[in-house]
Amino acid sequence: MATASIASRPDLWERLKLTQMARTWELLLLLTAREVKLRYQGTVLGLLWTLAKPLLLGLVFSFALSYVLRVKVTDAPYVLFLLSALFPWTWFQSSIQTSAGSFSNNAALLKKVYFPRFVLPLSAVTSQLFHFVLSIPILVLLLVAKGYHPGPEWLLGVPLLIAIQLLLLAGPVLLVASLNVFLRDLEHLVEVLMTLWLYLTPILYPLALVEKRLGPVVHLNPMASLIEAWRDLFLYDQLPGTDIWPALVFAAVALVAGSIAFKALEGQFEVAL
Amino acid sequence: MRSPYSEQEVIVLDNVSKRYFLHPQRMGELKTALLHLPTFLKASRARQPFWALRDVSLTIRRGESVGIIGPNGAGKSTLLRIVSRLAPLTKGKLTVRGRVSPLLELGAGFHPQISGRENAVLNAVLLGLSRKEAEEKLEEMADFSELGGFFDQPMRTYSSGMYVRLGFAVAVHVKPEILLVDEVLAVGDAEFQRKCFAHIEKLRQDKVTIVLVSHDVDSVKRFCDRAVLLNHGAIAAEGRPREVVDEYLSRHFEFSGAPTGRDDS
Repeated sequence: MATASIASRPDLWERLKLTQMARTWELLLLLTAREVKLRYQGTVLGLLWTLAKPLLLGLVFSFALSYVLRVKVTDAPYVLFLLSALFPWTWFQSSIQTSAGSFSNNAALLKKVYFPRFVLPLSAVTSQLFHFVLSIPILVLLLVAKGYHPGPEWLLGVPLLIAIQLLLLAGPVLLVASLNVFLRDLEHLVEVLMTLWLYLTPILYPLALVEKRLGPVVHLNPMASLIEAWRDLFLYDQLPGTDIWPALVFAAVALVAGSIAFKALEGQFEVAL
Repeated sequence: MRSPYSEQEVIVLDNVSKRYFLHPQRMGELKTALLHLPTFLKASRARQPFWALRDVSLTIRRGESVGIIGPNGAGKSTLLRIVSRLAPLTKGKLTVRGRVSPLLELGAGFHPQISGRENAVLNAVLLGLSRKEAEEKLEEMADFSELGGFFDQPMRTYSSGMYVRLGFAVAVHVKPEILLVDEVLAVGDAEFQRKCFAHIEKLRQDKVTIVLVSHDVDSVKRFCDRAVLLNHGAIAAEGRPREVVDEYLSRHFEFSGAPTGRDDS
Protein backbone atom coordinates (compact mmCIF):
# COMPACT_ATOMS: atom_id res chain seq x y z
CA MET A 1 0.00 0.00 0.00
CA ALA A 2 2.65 2.48 1.02
CA THR A 3 5.13 3.16 -1.71
CA ALA A 4 7.80 5.71 -2.27
CA SER A 5 9.78 6.11 -5.42
CA ILE A 6 12.65 8.35 -6.26
CA ALA A 7 13.44 8.47 -9.95
CA SER A 8 14.73 10.74 -12.59
CA ARG A 9 13.46 10.38 -16.14
CA PRO A 10 12.82 6.66 -16.80
CA ASP A 11 15.45 6.38 -19.54
CA LEU A 12 18.05 7.56 -17.06
CA TRP A 13 17.14 4.88 -14.57
CA GLU A 14 20.07 2.61 -15.41
CA ARG A 15 22.59 5.42 -15.22
CA LEU A 16 21.07 6.60 -11.97
CA LYS A 17 21.51 3.18 -10.45
CA LEU A 18 25.18 3.21 -11.43
CA THR A 19 25.83 6.66 -9.95
CA GLN A 20 23.94 5.52 -6.87
CA MET A 21 26.33 2.59 -6.52
CA ALA A 22 29.35 4.82 -7.07
CA ARG A 23 28.05 7.22 -4.43
CA THR A 24 27.48 4.40 -1.94
CA TRP A 25 31.02 3.21 -2.53
CA GLU A 26 32.47 6.71 -2.00
CA LEU A 27 30.41 7.10 1.13
CA LEU A 28 31.77 3.82 2.46
CA LEU A 29 35.35 4.96 1.80
CA LEU A 30 34.81 8.36 3.44
CA LEU A 31 33.15 6.84 6.50
CA THR A 32 35.94 4.26 6.81
CA ALA A 33 38.57 6.99 6.65
CA ARG A 34 36.67 8.94 9.30
CA GLU A 35 36.45 5.93 11.64
CA VAL A 36 40.15 5.21 11.28
CA LYS A 37 41.00 8.84 11.87
CA LEU A 38 38.74 9.24 14.88
CA ARG A 39 40.27 6.20 16.45
CA TYR A 40 43.68 7.82 16.73
CA GLN A 41 42.81 11.33 17.65
CA GLY A 42 44.30 12.38 20.93
CA THR A 43 46.35 9.23 21.38
CA VAL A 44 50.11 9.48 21.66
CA LEU A 45 50.98 6.19 20.00
CA GLY A 46 48.23 6.54 17.45
CA LEU A 47 48.00 3.67 15.01
CA LEU A 48 50.40 1.59 17.08
CA TRP A 49 47.68 0.92 19.65
CA THR A 50 45.54 -1.15 17.33
CA LEU A 51 48.53 -3.19 16.30
CA ALA A 52 49.85 -3.54 19.84
CA LYS A 53 46.56 -4.75 21.32
CA PRO A 54 46.20 -8.12 19.56
CA LEU A 55 49.96 -8.57 19.73
CA LEU A 56 50.03 -8.07 23.50
CA LEU A 57 47.00 -10.31 23.92
CA GLY A 58 48.79 -12.94 21.87
CA LEU A 59 51.91 -12.68 24.01
CA VAL A 60 49.87 -13.08 27.20
CA PHE A 61 48.14 -16.18 25.81
CA SER A 62 51.46 -17.59 24.63
CA PHE A 63 53.05 -17.00 28.00
CA ALA A 64 50.18 -18.63 29.89
CA LEU A 65 49.66 -21.60 27.61
CA SER A 66 53.04 -22.28 26.16
CA TYR A 67 55.41 -21.24 28.95
CA VAL A 68 53.36 -21.81 32.13
CA LEU A 69 51.12 -24.72 31.09
CA ARG A 70 53.64 -26.03 28.55
CA VAL A 71 50.99 -26.84 25.96
CA LYS A 72 52.51 -28.37 22.86
CA VAL A 73 50.03 -28.29 20.01
CA THR A 74 51.92 -28.29 16.76
CA ASP A 75 55.37 -28.32 15.35
CA ALA A 76 55.13 -24.57 14.74
CA PRO A 77 56.20 -22.19 17.52
CA TYR A 78 53.12 -21.53 19.62
CA VAL A 79 53.26 -17.76 19.30
CA LEU A 80 53.10 -18.01 15.50
CA PHE A 81 50.43 -20.68 15.65
CA LEU A 82 48.38 -18.36 17.87
CA LEU A 83 48.91 -15.01 16.14
CA SER A 84 48.17 -16.38 12.67
CA ALA A 85 44.66 -17.08 13.95
CA LEU A 86 44.29 -14.27 16.48
CA PHE A 87 44.87 -11.43 14.00
CA PRO A 88 42.05 -12.39 11.62
CA TRP A 89 39.87 -13.19 14.64
CA THR A 90 40.50 -9.71 16.06
CA TRP A 91 39.20 -8.23 12.81
CA PHE A 92 36.08 -10.39 13.10
CA GLN A 93 35.41 -9.70 16.77
CA SER A 94 36.07 -5.95 16.77
CA SER A 95 33.96 -5.50 13.60
CA ILE A 96 30.94 -7.05 15.24
CA GLN A 97 31.49 -5.22 18.51
CA THR A 98 31.96 -1.76 17.01
CA SER A 99 29.15 -2.23 14.50
CA ALA A 100 26.66 -2.64 17.36
CA GLY A 101 26.71 1.13 17.83
CA SER A 102 26.77 1.97 14.11
CA PHE A 103 23.15 3.12 14.01
CA SER A 104 22.53 4.00 17.64
CA ASN A 105 25.62 6.24 17.89
CA ASN A 106 24.83 8.05 14.66
CA ALA A 107 21.30 9.11 15.51
CA ALA A 108 21.93 12.74 14.53
CA LEU A 109 23.13 11.75 11.08
CA LEU A 110 20.36 9.21 10.48
CA LYS A 111 17.71 11.73 11.45
CA LYS A 112 19.05 14.43 9.21
CA VAL A 113 19.85 12.94 5.84
CA TYR A 114 18.61 9.99 3.89
CA PHE A 115 21.42 7.86 2.51
CA PRO A 116 22.02 4.14 2.10
CA ARG A 117 22.26 3.45 5.78
CA PHE A 118 23.76 -0.01 5.53
CA VAL A 119 27.11 1.66 4.80
CA LEU A 120 27.41 2.58 8.49
CA PRO A 121 27.85 -0.96 9.89
CA LEU A 122 29.85 -1.89 6.81
CA SER A 123 32.24 0.98 7.51
CA ALA A 124 32.87 -0.56 10.94
CA VAL A 125 33.96 -3.74 9.15
CA THR A 126 36.16 -1.97 6.61
CA SER A 127 37.90 0.23 9.16
CA GLN A 128 38.73 -2.88 11.19
CA LEU A 129 39.90 -4.52 7.97
CA PHE A 130 42.31 -1.61 7.56
CA HIS A 131 43.85 -2.45 10.94
CA PHE A 132 44.00 -6.14 10.11
CA VAL A 133 45.85 -5.45 6.87
CA LEU A 134 48.35 -3.33 8.80
CA SER A 135 48.93 -6.19 11.24
CA ILE A 136 49.96 -8.62 8.48
CA PRO A 137 53.52 -7.17 8.13
CA ILE A 138 54.04 -7.79 11.86
CA LEU A 139 53.13 -11.41 11.33
CA VAL A 140 55.47 -11.59 8.35
CA LEU A 141 58.33 -10.20 10.46
CA LEU A 142 57.73 -12.80 13.18
CA LEU A 143 57.44 -15.60 10.62
CA VAL A 144 60.70 -14.62 8.94
CA ALA A 145 62.42 -14.33 12.32
CA LYS A 146 61.45 -17.95 13.06
CA GLY A 147 62.62 -19.19 9.66
CA TYR A 148 59.28 -19.23 7.81
CA HIS A 149 59.06 -17.74 4.34
CA PRO A 150 55.72 -16.41 3.07
CA GLY A 151 55.18 -17.84 -0.42
CA PRO A 152 53.50 -16.47 -3.57
CA GLU A 153 50.29 -18.26 -2.48
CA TRP A 154 49.69 -15.29 -0.17
CA LEU A 155 49.02 -13.03 -3.15
CA LEU A 156 45.91 -15.03 -4.00
CA GLY A 157 45.09 -16.42 -0.56
CA VAL A 158 45.04 -13.20 1.45
CA PRO A 159 42.58 -11.33 -0.84
CA LEU A 160 40.45 -14.45 -1.18
CA LEU A 161 40.15 -15.00 2.57
CA ILE A 162 39.56 -11.29 3.15
CA ALA A 163 36.70 -11.46 0.64
CA ILE A 164 35.19 -14.48 2.37
CA GLN A 165 35.49 -12.88 5.79
CA LEU A 166 33.97 -9.61 4.50
CA LEU A 167 31.04 -11.58 3.18
CA LEU A 168 30.75 -13.47 6.43
CA LEU A 169 30.71 -10.24 8.46
CA ALA A 170 28.15 -8.36 6.33
CA GLY A 171 25.09 -10.22 7.62
CA PRO A 172 25.94 -10.28 11.33
CA VAL A 173 26.89 -6.58 11.50
CA LEU A 174 23.65 -5.53 9.78
CA LEU A 175 21.66 -7.65 12.22
CA VAL A 176 23.49 -6.53 15.36
CA ALA A 177 23.50 -2.84 14.42
CA SER A 178 19.78 -2.88 13.55
CA LEU A 179 18.71 -4.72 16.70
CA ASN A 180 20.87 -2.53 18.91
CA VAL A 181 18.74 0.49 17.97
CA PHE A 182 15.85 -1.09 19.84
CA LEU A 183 17.70 -2.99 22.54
CA ARG A 184 20.57 -0.76 23.51
CA ASP A 185 22.25 -3.19 25.86
CA LEU A 186 22.61 -5.78 23.14
CA GLU A 187 26.17 -4.54 22.65
CA HIS A 188 27.13 -5.76 26.12
CA LEU A 189 25.63 -9.17 25.43
CA VAL A 190 27.48 -9.26 22.10
CA GLU A 191 30.75 -8.56 23.88
CA VAL A 192 30.27 -11.53 26.21
CA LEU A 193 29.18 -13.79 23.36
CA MET A 194 32.19 -12.82 21.28
CA THR A 195 34.58 -13.78 24.10
CA LEU A 196 32.78 -17.10 24.34
CA TRP A 197 33.02 -17.56 20.58
CA LEU A 198 36.76 -16.87 20.76
CA TYR A 199 37.27 -19.87 23.03
CA LEU A 200 34.93 -22.05 20.94
CA THR A 201 36.97 -21.34 17.83
CA PRO A 202 40.27 -23.13 17.20
CA ILE A 203 42.49 -20.13 17.92
CA LEU A 204 44.32 -21.19 21.08
CA TYR A 205 44.24 -24.82 19.94
CA PRO A 206 44.14 -26.64 16.58
CA LEU A 207 40.84 -27.77 15.09
CA ALA A 208 42.05 -31.37 14.96
CA LEU A 209 42.25 -31.46 18.76
CA VAL A 210 38.51 -30.95 19.23
CA GLU A 211 37.50 -32.68 16.04
CA LYS A 212 38.79 -35.97 17.41
CA ARG A 213 36.66 -35.66 20.53
CA LEU A 214 33.57 -33.84 19.30
CA GLY A 215 33.35 -35.08 15.72
CA PRO A 216 31.79 -33.15 12.85
CA VAL A 217 29.89 -30.86 15.26
CA VAL A 218 32.90 -28.53 15.23
CA HIS A 219 32.10 -27.60 11.63
CA LEU A 220 28.91 -25.90 12.82
CA ASN A 221 31.14 -23.03 13.88
CA PRO A 222 31.66 -21.12 10.63
CA MET A 223 34.69 -19.35 12.05
CA ALA A 224 36.45 -22.69 12.69
CA SER A 225 36.93 -23.41 8.99
CA LEU A 226 37.86 -19.82 8.19
CA ILE A 227 40.39 -19.50 11.00
CA GLU A 228 41.96 -22.82 10.01
CA ALA A 229 42.22 -21.55 6.44
CA TRP A 230 43.98 -18.37 7.60
CA ARG A 231 46.41 -20.42 9.65
CA ASP A 232 47.14 -22.85 6.82
CA LEU A 233 47.88 -19.90 4.59
CA PHE A 234 50.04 -17.93 7.02
CA LEU A 235 52.03 -20.88 8.38
CA TYR A 236 52.13 -23.37 5.53
CA ASP A 237 51.39 -21.25 2.41
CA GLN A 238 48.33 -23.41 1.71
CA LEU A 239 45.44 -21.98 -0.28
CA PRO A 240 41.93 -22.54 1.13
CA GLY A 241 40.24 -25.72 -0.10
CA THR A 242 36.71 -27.05 -0.12
CA ASP A 243 36.62 -27.42 3.67
CA ILE A 244 35.90 -23.69 3.83
CA TRP A 245 32.20 -24.45 3.01
CA PRO A 246 30.79 -23.87 6.52
CA ALA A 247 31.98 -20.25 6.37
CA LEU A 248 30.40 -19.74 2.94
CA VAL A 249 27.08 -21.31 3.94
CA PHE A 250 26.95 -19.23 7.11
CA ALA A 251 27.86 -16.07 5.18
CA ALA A 252 24.99 -16.60 2.73
CA VAL A 253 22.41 -17.38 5.42
CA ALA A 254 23.54 -14.52 7.64
CA LEU A 255 23.49 -12.06 4.75
CA VAL A 256 19.90 -12.94 3.94
CA ALA A 257 18.87 -12.79 7.61
CA GLY A 258 20.74 -9.55 8.21
CA SER A 259 19.25 -7.88 5.13
CA ILE A 260 15.73 -8.94 6.06
CA ALA A 261 16.17 -7.68 9.63
CA PHE A 262 17.62 -4.40 8.42
CA LYS A 263 14.85 -3.84 5.85
CA ALA A 264 12.20 -4.62 8.42
CA LEU A 265 13.65 -2.47 11.20
CA GLU A 266 14.96 0.48 9.18
CA GLY A 267 11.49 2.03 8.98
CA GLN A 268 11.31 2.15 12.76
CA PHE A 269 14.70 3.85 13.23
CA GLU A 270 13.18 7.34 13.13
CA VAL A 271 11.02 6.61 16.20
CA ALA A 272 13.54 4.54 18.16
CA LEU A 273 16.65 6.65 17.70
CA MET B 1 9.95 31.44 -20.83
CA ARG B 2 8.58 28.14 -19.57
CA SER B 3 9.45 24.86 -21.19
CA PRO B 4 7.20 21.82 -20.70
CA TYR B 5 9.98 20.34 -18.58
CA SER B 6 9.65 23.10 -15.98
CA GLU B 7 6.04 22.07 -15.57
CA GLN B 8 7.15 18.65 -14.42
CA GLU B 9 5.66 17.43 -11.18
CA VAL B 10 8.63 16.87 -8.87
CA ILE B 11 6.86 16.05 -5.62
CA VAL B 12 3.59 14.18 -5.67
CA LEU B 13 1.90 13.11 -2.48
CA ASP B 14 -1.10 10.93 -3.12
CA ASN B 15 -3.29 10.39 -0.06
CA VAL B 16 -0.31 10.17 2.22
CA SER B 17 -0.93 9.27 5.85
CA LYS B 18 1.57 8.87 8.63
CA ARG B 19 0.87 7.07 11.86
CA TYR B 20 2.99 7.14 14.96
CA PHE B 21 2.43 5.16 18.09
CA LEU B 22 2.52 6.69 21.54
CA HIS B 23 3.96 4.14 23.90
CA PRO B 24 2.92 4.26 27.53
CA GLN B 25 6.38 3.06 28.53
CA ARG B 26 9.52 2.57 26.50
CA MET B 27 11.37 -0.71 26.73
CA GLY B 28 14.70 0.35 25.39
CA GLU B 29 16.77 -2.26 27.12
CA LEU B 30 17.00 -5.97 26.69
CA LYS B 31 17.12 -6.37 30.47
CA THR B 32 14.04 -4.25 31.08
CA ALA B 33 12.17 -5.99 28.29
CA LEU B 34 12.98 -9.46 29.60
CA LEU B 35 12.37 -8.68 33.27
CA HIS B 36 9.01 -7.15 32.47
CA LEU B 37 8.03 -9.45 29.66
CA PRO B 38 4.29 -9.50 30.46
CA THR B 39 4.20 -5.70 30.71
CA PHE B 40 6.31 -5.45 27.59
CA LEU B 41 3.91 -7.54 25.54
CA LYS B 42 0.91 -5.73 26.97
CA ALA B 43 2.53 -2.37 26.32
CA SER B 44 3.05 -3.11 22.66
CA ARG B 45 -0.67 -3.85 22.41
CA ALA B 46 -1.74 -0.85 24.47
CA ARG B 47 0.07 1.62 22.26
CA GLN B 48 -1.97 4.57 21.09
CA PRO B 49 -2.04 5.37 17.39
CA PHE B 50 -1.52 9.00 16.47
CA TRP B 51 -2.02 10.19 12.94
CA ALA B 52 0.50 12.91 12.19
CA LEU B 53 -0.76 13.20 8.61
CA ARG B 54 -4.10 12.11 7.21
CA ASP B 55 -4.75 11.67 3.49
CA VAL B 56 -2.57 14.51 2.38
CA SER B 57 -2.52 15.01 -1.39
CA LEU B 58 -0.22 17.64 -2.76
CA THR B 59 1.53 18.20 -6.07
CA ILE B 60 4.54 20.46 -6.35
CA ARG B 61 5.96 21.37 -9.76
CA ARG B 62 9.51 22.08 -10.71
CA GLY B 63 10.62 25.58 -9.78
CA GLU B 64 7.71 26.25 -7.47
CA SER B 65 8.28 27.43 -3.95
CA VAL B 66 5.67 26.30 -1.52
CA GLY B 67 5.25 27.41 2.07
CA ILE B 68 3.78 25.07 4.66
CA ILE B 69 2.22 26.80 7.64
CA GLY B 70 0.14 25.68 10.55
CA PRO B 71 0.08 25.55 14.34
CA ASN B 72 2.46 23.39 16.39
CA GLY B 73 1.82 19.70 15.88
CA ALA B 74 -0.05 20.20 12.63
CA GLY B 75 2.30 17.82 10.81
CA LYS B 76 4.48 20.35 8.98
CA SER B 77 7.79 18.79 9.93
CA THR B 78 6.44 15.27 9.43
CA LEU B 79 5.55 16.26 5.89
CA LEU B 80 9.10 17.43 5.21
CA ARG B 81 10.56 14.31 6.81
CA ILE B 82 8.39 12.15 4.56
CA VAL B 83 9.44 14.01 1.42
CA SER B 84 13.11 13.68 2.40
CA ARG B 85 12.55 9.94 3.04
CA LEU B 86 13.61 10.24 6.66
CA ALA B 87 10.23 8.96 7.72
CA PRO B 88 8.53 6.10 5.91
CA LEU B 89 4.88 6.71 5.19
CA THR B 90 2.11 4.53 6.57
CA LYS B 91 -0.38 4.80 3.71
CA GLY B 92 -0.50 6.40 0.31
CA LYS B 93 2.05 7.06 -2.39
CA LEU B 94 4.94 9.45 -2.68
CA THR B 95 6.91 10.31 -5.81
CA VAL B 96 9.96 12.54 -5.67
CA ARG B 97 11.94 13.43 -8.79
CA GLY B 98 15.35 14.98 -8.24
CA ARG B 99 17.98 15.44 -5.60
CA VAL B 100 16.51 16.47 -2.27
CA SER B 101 18.57 18.64 0.01
CA PRO B 102 17.01 18.92 3.43
CA LEU B 103 17.86 21.99 5.48
CA LEU B 104 16.69 20.34 8.67
CA GLU B 105 18.54 20.56 11.96
CA LEU B 106 21.53 22.11 10.27
CA GLY B 107 24.88 20.72 11.22
CA ALA B 108 23.40 17.83 13.19
CA GLY B 109 25.31 15.32 11.09
CA PHE B 110 28.70 16.87 11.74
CA HIS B 111 31.26 15.06 13.83
CA PRO B 112 32.93 17.32 16.42
CA GLN B 113 36.32 15.57 16.29
CA ILE B 114 37.13 16.19 12.64
CA SER B 115 37.65 19.46 10.81
CA GLY B 116 35.02 21.56 9.12
CA ARG B 117 36.58 20.72 5.76
CA GLU B 118 36.32 16.96 6.30
CA ASN B 119 32.79 17.27 7.63
CA ALA B 120 31.81 19.39 4.65
CA VAL B 121 33.03 16.75 2.16
CA LEU B 122 31.35 13.89 4.01
CA ASN B 123 28.07 15.78 4.34
CA ALA B 124 28.07 16.88 0.71
CA VAL B 125 28.51 13.23 -0.32
CA LEU B 126 25.75 12.24 2.09
CA LEU B 127 23.53 14.82 0.38
CA GLY B 128 24.20 13.26 -2.99
CA LEU B 129 27.30 14.81 -4.55
CA SER B 130 30.17 12.72 -5.78
CA ARG B 131 33.40 13.13 -3.87
CA LYS B 132 34.99 15.03 -6.75
CA GLU B 133 32.07 17.46 -7.00
CA ALA B 134 32.18 17.94 -3.24
CA GLU B 135 35.87 18.79 -3.30
CA GLU B 136 35.34 21.25 -6.13
CA LYS B 137 32.70 23.06 -4.07
CA LEU B 138 34.85 23.21 -0.94
CA GLU B 139 36.24 26.69 -1.46
CA GLU B 140 32.80 28.11 -2.17
CA MET B 141 31.51 26.51 1.02
CA ALA B 142 34.43 27.88 3.00
CA ASP B 143 33.82 31.38 1.67
CA PHE B 144 30.10 31.26 2.20
CA SER B 145 30.37 30.05 5.80
CA GLU B 146 32.86 32.83 6.68
CA LEU B 147 34.78 30.44 8.91
CA GLY B 148 38.25 31.64 7.91
CA GLY B 149 40.96 29.66 9.67
CA PHE B 150 38.39 27.66 11.61
CA PHE B 151 37.52 25.70 8.46
CA ASP B 152 40.48 23.42 9.12
CA GLN B 153 39.97 23.19 12.88
CA PRO B 154 38.06 20.34 14.57
CA MET B 155 34.41 21.29 14.80
CA ARG B 156 34.36 20.97 18.59
CA THR B 157 36.07 24.36 18.64
CA TYR B 158 33.13 25.93 16.76
CA SER B 159 30.42 28.11 18.23
CA SER B 160 26.85 27.01 17.54
CA GLY B 161 26.56 29.82 15.01
CA MET B 162 29.58 28.52 13.13
CA TYR B 163 28.08 25.02 13.09
CA VAL B 164 24.91 26.29 11.51
CA ARG B 165 26.74 28.48 9.04
CA LEU B 166 28.75 25.56 7.75
CA GLY B 167 25.63 23.38 7.69
CA PHE B 168 23.83 25.95 5.60
CA ALA B 169 26.82 26.41 3.31
CA VAL B 170 26.97 22.67 2.60
CA ALA B 171 23.23 22.28 2.10
CA VAL B 172 22.91 25.10 -0.44
CA HIS B 173 26.05 24.21 -2.38
CA VAL B 174 25.10 20.65 -3.25
CA LYS B 175 23.20 21.81 -6.33
CA PRO B 176 19.85 20.83 -4.86
CA GLU B 177 16.95 20.25 -7.18
CA ILE B 178 14.53 20.30 -4.30
CA LEU B 179 15.37 22.31 -1.18
CA LEU B 180 13.47 21.57 2.00
CA VAL B 181 13.75 24.34 4.58
CA ASP B 182 12.52 23.83 8.11
CA GLU B 183 12.61 26.85 10.40
CA VAL B 184 16.33 27.33 9.96
CA LEU B 185 16.33 30.84 8.63
CA ALA B 186 16.20 32.34 12.09
CA VAL B 187 19.85 31.50 12.70
CA GLY B 188 23.05 33.48 12.64
CA ASP B 189 23.38 37.22 12.82
CA ALA B 190 21.34 39.62 10.73
CA GLU B 191 24.02 39.82 8.09
CA PHE B 192 24.23 36.05 7.64
CA GLN B 193 20.46 35.77 7.55
CA ARG B 194 20.35 38.33 4.78
CA LYS B 195 22.91 36.26 2.90
CA CYS B 196 20.89 33.08 3.33
CA PHE B 197 17.73 34.76 2.06
CA ALA B 198 19.62 36.17 -0.88
CA HIS B 199 20.96 32.71 -1.68
CA ILE B 200 17.56 31.08 -1.45
CA GLU B 201 16.21 33.80 -3.71
CA LYS B 202 18.97 32.97 -6.19
CA LEU B 203 18.17 29.25 -6.06
CA ARG B 204 14.54 30.14 -6.68
CA GLN B 205 15.48 32.03 -9.79
CA ASP B 206 17.51 29.00 -10.90
CA LYS B 207 14.25 27.02 -10.82
CA VAL B 208 15.12 25.04 -7.71
CA THR B 209 11.97 23.71 -6.09
CA ILE B 210 11.65 24.97 -2.53
CA VAL B 211 9.44 23.73 0.27
CA LEU B 212 9.56 26.05 3.25
CA VAL B 213 8.12 25.22 6.65
CA SER B 214 7.81 28.21 8.88
CA HIS B 215 6.02 29.88 11.72
CA ASP B 216 7.18 33.13 10.23
CA VAL B 217 4.29 33.99 7.96
CA ASP B 218 6.16 36.97 6.56
CA SER B 219 8.88 34.84 5.00
CA VAL B 220 6.19 32.59 3.51
CA LYS B 221 4.51 35.62 1.94
CA ARG B 222 7.85 36.85 0.72
CA PHE B 223 9.31 33.68 -0.74
CA CYS B 224 6.48 31.44 -1.79
CA ASP B 225 4.33 31.16 -4.86
CA ARG B 226 1.87 29.02 -3.00
CA ALA B 227 1.05 28.24 0.61
CA VAL B 228 -0.48 25.22 2.30
CA LEU B 229 -2.13 25.38 5.68
CA LEU B 230 -1.95 22.19 7.69
CA ASN B 231 -4.15 21.51 10.67
CA HIS B 232 -4.28 18.27 12.62
CA GLY B 233 -2.38 16.49 9.89
CA ALA B 234 -4.72 17.46 7.08
CA ILE B 235 -4.66 20.24 4.50
CA ALA B 236 -7.02 22.95 5.70
CA ALA B 237 -6.35 25.52 3.02
CA GLU B 238 -4.19 25.90 -0.06
CA GLY B 239 -3.61 28.74 -2.47
CA ARG B 240 -2.02 32.16 -2.75
CA PRO B 241 0.27 32.87 0.21
CA ARG B 242 -1.48 36.07 1.30
CA GLU B 243 -4.90 34.41 1.43
CA VAL B 244 -3.72 31.26 3.16
CA VAL B 245 -1.76 33.26 5.72
CA ASP B 246 -4.83 35.37 6.45
CA GLU B 247 -6.87 32.23 6.83
CA TYR B 248 -4.29 30.84 9.23
CA LEU B 249 -4.14 34.00 11.28
CA SER B 250 -7.89 34.32 11.52
CA ARG B 251 -8.25 30.67 12.48
CA HIS B 252 -5.63 30.56 15.15
CA PHE B 253 -5.21 34.10 16.35
CA GLU B 254 -8.09 36.40 16.95
CA PHE B 255 -6.33 39.57 15.91
CA SER B 256 -9.34 41.16 14.31
CA GLY B 257 -11.56 40.13 17.17
CA ALA B 258 -13.96 38.66 14.64
CA PRO B 259 -15.40 35.34 15.74
CA THR B 260 -14.25 32.67 13.35
CA GLY B 261 -16.19 29.79 14.77
CA ARG B 262 -13.87 27.41 13.01
CA ASP B 263 -11.08 27.21 15.54
CA ASP B 264 -10.97 23.58 16.48
CA SER B 265 -7.55 23.49 18.03
